[in-house]
Amino acid sequence: MFTIAFKGIRQYFKDRTAVLLSLLLPIVLITLFALMYGGIGKKEKSRPISLLFTDQDNTELSKEVFKTLNDQDGMQLFPKSYEEASDLIKKGKNTAVLVLYKGFQDSVEAGNKAPMELFYDEAKEIEMGLLQQALWSNLFGITMKKGIKGKVNTWIREKNPNLADAELLNIQAQVEEQFTDFDNSEDSKKMEEKSNLPMTAIVSEEKNGNLGLVQAIAGTAIMMLLFSVSGSGASLLKEKEDGTFRRLLVSPITPSSILYGKMLSTLFMAVLQLTVMFLYSWLALGLDIFINLPALLLMILSAAIACTSFGIFMASVCKSRKQVESLSTLVILVISALGGSMMPLIFMPEIMHKLAIVSVNYWAIEGFFDIFWRQLPLSEIYPKMLVLLGIGTVLTSISVISFKRNLLKLV
Amino acid sequence: MLVAKNLSKSYKEVKALNNVSLAVQEGELYGLLGPNGAGKTTMISILSSLLKPDCGEILYRGKSLYQNLTESKKMIGVVPQEIALYEDLTAFENLKFWGTLYGIKGKQLQLKIEELLSFLGLSDRKNHKIKNYSGGMKRRINIAAALLHDPKIVFMDEPTVGIDPQSRNLIFEVIQELHSRGLTMIYTTHYMEEAERLCDRIGIIDEGKIIAEGSFEELKKSSNIKEEIHVKFTNTLKTDLSNIDNHFNGQLLIHENQMVLSTSQANADLPILIQMCTNANLHLENLQVRSLSLESIFLELTGKSLRD
Repeated sequence: MFTIAFKGIRQYFKDRTAVLLSLLLPIVLITLFALMYGGIGKKEKSRPISLLFTDQDNTELSKEVFKTLNDQDGMQLFPKSYEEASDLIKKGKNTAVLVLYKGFQDSVEAGNKAPMELFYDEAKEIEMGLLQQALWSNLFGITMKKGIKGKVNTWIREKNPNLADAELLNIQAQVEEQFTDFDNSEDSKKMEEKSNLPMTAIVSEEKNGNLGLVQAIAGTAIMMLLFSVSGSGASLLKEKEDGTFRRLLVSPITPSSILYGKMLSTLFMAVLQLTVMFLYSWLALGLDIFINLPALLLMILSAAIACTSFGIFMASVCKSRKQVESLSTLVILVISALGGSMMPLIFMPEIMHKLAIVSVNYWAIEGFFDIFWRQLPLSEIYPKMLVLLGIGTVLTSISVISFKRNLLKLV
Repeated sequence: MLVAKNLSKSYKEVKALNNVSLAVQEGELYGLLGPNGAGKTTMISILSSLLKPDCGEILYRGKSLYQNLTESKKMIGVVPQEIALYEDLTAFENLKFWGTLYGIKGKQLQLKIEELLSFLGLSDRKNHKIKNYSGGMKRRINIAAALLHDPKIVFMDEPTVGIDPQSRNLIFEVIQELHSRGLTMIYTTHYMEEAERLCDRIGIIDEGKIIAEGSFEELKKSSNIKEEIHVKFTNTLKTDLSNIDNHFNGQLLIHENQMVLSTSQANADLPILIQMCTNANLHLENLQVRSLSLESIFLELTGKSLRD
């Protein structure tokens, strides 16, 4: 078994181009994904959300709405006619337009429903979510205050029909003054403070490092490792095609030794690849790999065992190298998409979260998140390692059976 | 040395071996001659433990092959038809790997490899990768890998396939040298000249059965055919020559612009053949009467050419 493993490792290092590619390609991809997820360099202030604004009312209140919204951090308004705005949205250049219809101020002051509407591009669901959140507090803050003032004035007029106009105007001015005084008062600030929900991040980038970087490294490293090990598994079928497998079988070693030897050399390459990935992430991307080194090493080993078993499993169930190559590519792409290697699971619907547990990628990525992002102790991480080892054991057991059934029969 | 009794092997509907028995003496070079698909490789695969027969028994020095398989395997060396070597490793690395699998280690292995490389004339190329070797050199290393553990019997499955005549002669010399050292060998080929030149005894195998067995002289004696008439024409033989073939009872081999007639009465058949060829507008370039070859014996026994 060890002789076969050493031979496999020797062959791996003989092909310098393949060694370079197996290490360089994941490095390039990790860097690329880290850039995509904003995992490299200083955290930049996020780009403001742009909102088109159509003011058909053109009153003091509609102008106040424009100013209030535009003054908000993270939001930028662009005045446009409705036609221009809808054209820009159709062309995908903008996400939404807020239209304040004629009579906006009058309706608000009368305490009626404000005539306004938001038109948007349904494809930009994420941006729309952020936009709605920003609009909700500001837009309804302005309109509701005006609406309450209007309602109060209407109520005074209705309850005091004989009130002289001058008296009425005086009362309205006092009401206005009260609202303004309250807005500027300490009480108002205290109430605002009381009504605000205090929010404190338990897990944050400041305390826990770079989320995007962890996602990029964990997701890409596992996906690339699966591709590497499937190639290594395919070499088992190459041995059959080249005739060396027959020669191995006539030598005084058991068929299982051939399989375990191949697994051992593949495992070595898998551990090497993951180790190089994390060393690169530390040296070039600033990931603190020493945050929990024992957990990281054990997680690397567990992930490598699970991935190696996957590679051997693919080789043992397929009948030719071409079959392994095409089927592996398909399966790896599917489980990588499911497991969150290509896109973080938070962006996926609930059903995908449930399906993800069948993927090696999911458990490995979650394990690396536990180490680098959640910074959990080993006692909290080890269940994920056990799942990975479980996956490895199941796949290896199936491989041993399939190996005897397929490969040995095909001699 | 080796006794195989009543071996049969089928692949679904196809009967690859049909109740074959075989006995090979110590130090003997036994040739298994037959066309492609006759059952030679299946026979070697079974005798070398790679395949299990459906029925039958295999004894090495009186003990069943499967009684102690690991020990039996150490007695056997196999030179497969394919170049079963790792192309990206050097000859030395390949031999070291194969030797280690047989439990040979350290200095002993090193010396054995050096000895074999010297014997095969490849000492100066030992650190070159196999992928940079010529076809003939690869074949020689392929043989060396089967000899590292000093096997008692070596199976050579068409070891000269796809190489040039010069390399083939070199391999013949190696085999003859091994034979002279007393190594027992079973050699499969579909080249009759190889079997004629190398083997002490020949078993002719066709459709999973050994249909004749003996030394070349014994096979010749048992044959009704005594001579061969070889005719070469200036033009390619495109015309229908079935009337000539029928006249000589199917003992005519035709290949491109050549014709071989196996006969027991060359003196009588020669003028008839020339006359029939002239009638068929075939222009003679060369004509020879030769002594009997295995090819003719095979044709007589099976009614088909070895290269069919």
